[in-house]
Amino acid sequence: MSLSIRVIIFFLLAVWCIGFFFEWLIPLNEKLLTLLPFLHQTYSLICHQEKVKLITSHGFESLVCSRCAGIYIGLLTGSLLSIFRKPLKNTSIKILLICTALMLLDITAYSTGIYHYSKLIAFITGFLLGSAAFSYFYNGLIQLFIEIKN
Amino acid sequence: MCGFSAGVLQIVPLVKSFSCCLLLPLSAFIALILEQKSTNNFNIISAKKAVMIGLFTGLFAALFGSCFEIVITFITKQNDIIITFPELQKMVEKFPVTDDIKKEILYLFQNVRNDILTTGFSWLYTFSLIVNDFFIDILFGITGGLIGSQIINNRIKKSKYN
Repeated sequence: MSLSIRVIIFFLLAVWCIGFFFEWLIPLNEKLLTLLPFLHQTYSLICHQEKVKLITSHGFESLVCSRCAGIYIGLLTGSLLSIFRKPLKNTSIKILLICTALMLLDITAYSTGIYHYSKLIAFITGFLLGSAAFSYFYNGLIQLFIEIKN
Repeated sequence: MCGFSAGVLQIVPLVKSFSCCLLLPLSAFIALILEQKSTNNFNIISAKKAVMIGLFTGLFAALFGSCFEIVITFITKQNDIIITFPELQKMVEKFPVTDDIKKEILYLFQNVRNDILTTGFSWLYTFSLIVNDFFIDILFGITGGLIGSQIINNRIKKSKYN
């Protein structure tokens, strides 16, 4: 896959990630506040947006929960790395399974009361899953481009 | 079938809180497996096919999700906009912006809220719902299809080598 496409993927993922940290941008231009309710609705489709699970800082809140933010930032990190080094073509499914298992383990542990919900753990498990999923997404895109060219 | 299920699950609040952002990619992945089983073809899945299945899963999820949401809003005259309006007011108030901007936003949403409370329908709400649903669901459906096909192909290749 050409460098320009890898950069475009990174740029699109970066825009998506900036979108859920939108509240932090509002002090830069107050008219941006007009877009906030619409973005809130957009991200509500893919995240429960429970108040206690959102990333908060300086009185602002993210538009997705810590785990979702982790997944997308994991994908973004994967795409950033793919600009400098191409991901492995045949990534072992075990990596994805381990990352999924860690995430499910965290969900089960806090849901059953073994420990309280931790934004950091949720973020890390999401991040791992997102990073692992990126190589599959990347390889899928390569295969798609090859098929389109042929 | 997976698109329909995802569309329905997207509007069920309790289920939604468990599924999060993985609902649609997972639906596309299940759709790929079901397609393989229904056609009895367990060969490598092409990326084009995966994209098409993901696209249709997203399309059906968006279609059913938005239709159900519009109909439920019309019948009950209640939806997230009505429920979260006090929160929206608080949210707008916390930002260090001029009162004019705050009033403008609240006026806009007050109109949407009034429309829904009186008639059960708002053009602005319906438009933003449809645009959001179709954009997000199709995007996540295709992503899920691509990732899912790689996972399935990986397993097929592995079983062939063994």
